[in-house]
Amino acid sequence: MDGKMTDREDGGMGGRAAETVKGAPAVRADGAPTDPADAAGTAGTADLLKVENLKMYFDTPDGLVKAVDGVSFTLNLGETLGVVGESGSGKSVTAMSIMGLVPMPPGKIHGGNVLFKGQSLITISEKDFQKIRGNNIAMIFQDPLSSLNPVYRVGKQVGEGLTIHKGYKKKQAFARAIELLDLVGIPNAAERARDYPHQFSGGMRQRAMIAMALACDPEILIADEPTTALDVTIQAQILELMQSLQKRTGSAIIMITHDLGVVADMADRILVMYAGRPVEYGTTDEIFYQPLHPYTWGLMRSIPKRTAGDKEPLTPIKGNPPSLINLPAGCAFSPRCPYAQPRCHEEGPVLVKLAGAHASACHFSDDPAFLENSPLHDDEDADTVAPGAVAGMAAPEGADTRRGHSDG
Amino acid sequence: MADTLLKLSHLHKDFAVNRSLLQGHRKRFVSAVSDVSFTIERGQTMGLVGESGSGKSTIGRCIIRLINPTSGTIDFDGHDVASLKGRDLFNFRREAQIVFQDPQASLNPRMTIGEVVSEPLVIHRTGTKAERIAAVKGLLETVGLNPEHINRYPHEFSGGQRQRIGIARALALKPKLIVCDEPVSALDVSIQAQVLNLLDSLQAELGLTYLFIAHDLGVVQHISDTVAVMYLGTIVETAPVNLLYSAPRHPYTQSLLSAIPVPDPKVQRTRSRIILRGEVPSPIDPPSGCRFSTRCPVAQARCSQERPDLHEIEPGHFCACHFPSPTTP
Ligand SMILES: Nc1ncnc2c1ncn2[C@@H]1O[C@H](COP(=O)(O)OP(=O)(O)O)[C@@H](O)[C@H]1O
Ligand SMILES: Nc1ncnc2c1ncn2[C@@H]1O[C@H](COP(=O)(O)OP(=O)(O)O)[C@@H](O)[C@H]1O
Ligand code: SF4
Ligand SMILES: [Mg+2]
Ligand SMILES: [Mg+2]
Repeated sequence: MDGKMTDREDGGMGGRAAETVKGAPAVRADGAPTDPADAAGTAGTADLLKVENLKMYFDTPDGLVKAVDGVSFTLNLGETLGVVGESGSGKSVTAMSIMGLVPMPPGKIHGGNVLFKGQSLITISEKDFQKIRGNNIAMIFQDPLSSLNPVYRVGKQVGEGLTIHKGYKKKQAFARAIELLDLVGIPNAAERARDYPHQFSGGMRQRAMIAMALACDPEILIADEPTTALDVTIQAQILELMQSLQKRTGSAIIMITHDLGVVADMADRILVMYAGRPVEYGTTDEIFYQPLHPYTWGLMRSIPKRTAGDKEPLTPIKGNPPSLINLPAGCAFSPRCPYAQPRCHEEGPVLVKLAGAHASACHFSDDPAFLENSPLHDDEDADTVAPGAVAGMAAPEGADTRRGHSDG
Repeated sequence: MADTLLKLSHLHKDFAVNRSLLQGHRKRFVSAVSDVSFTIERGQTMGLVGESGSGKSTIGRCIIRLINPTSGTIDFDGHDVASLKGRDLFNFRREAQIVFQDPQASLNPRMTIGEVVSEPLVIHRTGTKAERIAAVKGLLETVGLNPEHINRYPHEFSGGQRQRIGIARALALKPKLIVCDEPVSALDVSIQAQVLNLLDSLQAELGLTYLFIAHDLGVVQHISDTVAVMYLGTIVETAPVNLLYSAPRHPYTQSLLSAIPVPDPKVQRTRSRIILRGEVPSPIDPPSGCRFSTRCPVAQARCSQERPDLHEIEPGHFCACHFPSPTTP
């Protein structure tokens, strides 16, 4: 069904377009990523979230699917971790494992740990986990219908967490739900709170789900492809909303996406996954400007870019991602890696920290000669026009511009 | 000298919709495409971008005559094909083909890929059986598939390979034009790059003309010679690709381009995002005057009264706005 066509309210809403996303600050103070040192410095306590060598396998009729096979990272308040990788690389299973939402069986934890403020979410009882889920840690999904129940009013669902976790009475929770819907930019929130999910357009459902996730002021928000199904102008609204809310509440975000533009925009650090394993981890600038792993190089080279003037062939990664049941011997990326050596087909590389926290799982990431192969060393043409990078484009007068220019 | 293959003039497409009883029996229409005109030169690629529901697929389906336009002309290689019927329409189908977004849904799971690719040849009674098999093997090779896999079924292939099968099928009748409707939208970036390279090289080899529909502006920028931007059934701006991306003049194009995050953190941090408020209005009762006027950051009173024409504001650059932003020096 095309919500935009059948939802008559939308037509009317266009006319009331002047409303802004409430509470969004005029300008993001500074585009620079959070300095990890700052974040660590403020908390003398345990990390907010620590994922240690997490392994989640699925027992299937075809064999053992090693969906997540040794993922580690830490996350602190105010930080955004971007998780990227091709479909099937284990991003969603990683998120669902942290949330304790993987059905077991067929899933089984084969090792590792998830620590929330030092407490293990792997050994925790389901009863105790329910106090954390939706309260301290909340999740938003690509498909809002997966978390919105069609038979309850949107307002009731948005406020539900407050009655469960914060002792709100039903009426109070509904009133707060209206405020939250307003906060995420739903026009006429008081009326729309009485609607059922199908009466909302796709973009509005996504916002309602964000409102629901934010109801209890979670310290961690896990967003699994939250804008993949949305158009870019709605995506821009949602990303802006998440950034402004993070600024206000200081929550940490795990942003799962296959869109390198979205992580360039949102993330402080990036985890690159391939075939269930982390292949590179670093700050956003490290991943984009000093990538170490040939898979990351391949992703970067696959992005359509264009030098002003003429078409240049892209450099795709050859072949397809492997089956997680029969992983290639040695490095899982070796059959597709243009730089693979005999050693790569025999011996699996481990994720090694190379500079600070910047880590890569390639045998040759510490070899300067090998790193010459990085896209950094491709013929750089100063005239490259990145998609949508409109040089010196001024916002039309009166436009609602929410991002300042930071010149360095 | 310009050698135009396709010229649309004042194309309209309305769809009748049945409202529920509560809302009365009055017949209503979705104005899916309204007064669209553009030309594509032979051997070139025109990119068509816009948000979902803006009418891109409807234009594509009108051109290859999967549906009948409500009014307007579609001049294809010197003939108006907008109202072709019967035998003439059948013959026209050789000339213009389509590749769809979802290779999974557009391939019959019970047909081998050999049958899928040869079907158009069978329908158009082209060659003997042996000749068709040879042709299919050649086509599979052309799109980078193993011709020995001719008897396999679509589910045995990955998403990127299935898209190659769809392309091979579209090529079977040696068309002049291929409408590519979001052909890489469902693919991961690394696989997407493979398919884009294939489309580029096929065009160079076979002199194909593409109408390339997508919502990914990076992909469109890569593949297109000219780009047209759609909003709610209308073309708001069209220009050669570099001009459109470097100096957009229509407020909608500007906000659309500003909304895409650039995969370059340093560039992204310096960009201003023009956030449009609200959502796209319904095409059942589109706004009067300029269809963008309800969301336009620079709209004036005139905008909701008078519809702006798509007019040439500099050579090759057309914009449908009463107040196009000034050229950036
Ligand atoms: N419930 C399940 N049973 C069996 N396999 C599963 C299940 N859930 C996910 N998988 C498999 O785990 C792998 C990783 O999937 P996922 O995390 O969804 O990838 P991504 O989010 O990166 O696209 C895939 O091969 C998928 O088929
Ligand atoms: N067969 C149909 N009947 C009624 N409305 C339709 C039909 N096909 C498309 N539409 C409507 O026409 C508009 C344009 O749709 P479409 O061309 O598919 O847009 P796009 O390809 O840009 O997403 C939408 O509002 C859509 O709902
Ligand atoms: S015509 Fe008016 S409303 Fe339409 S885009 Fe131009 S300025 Fe905006
Ligand atoms: Mg996923
Ligand atoms: Mg479409």
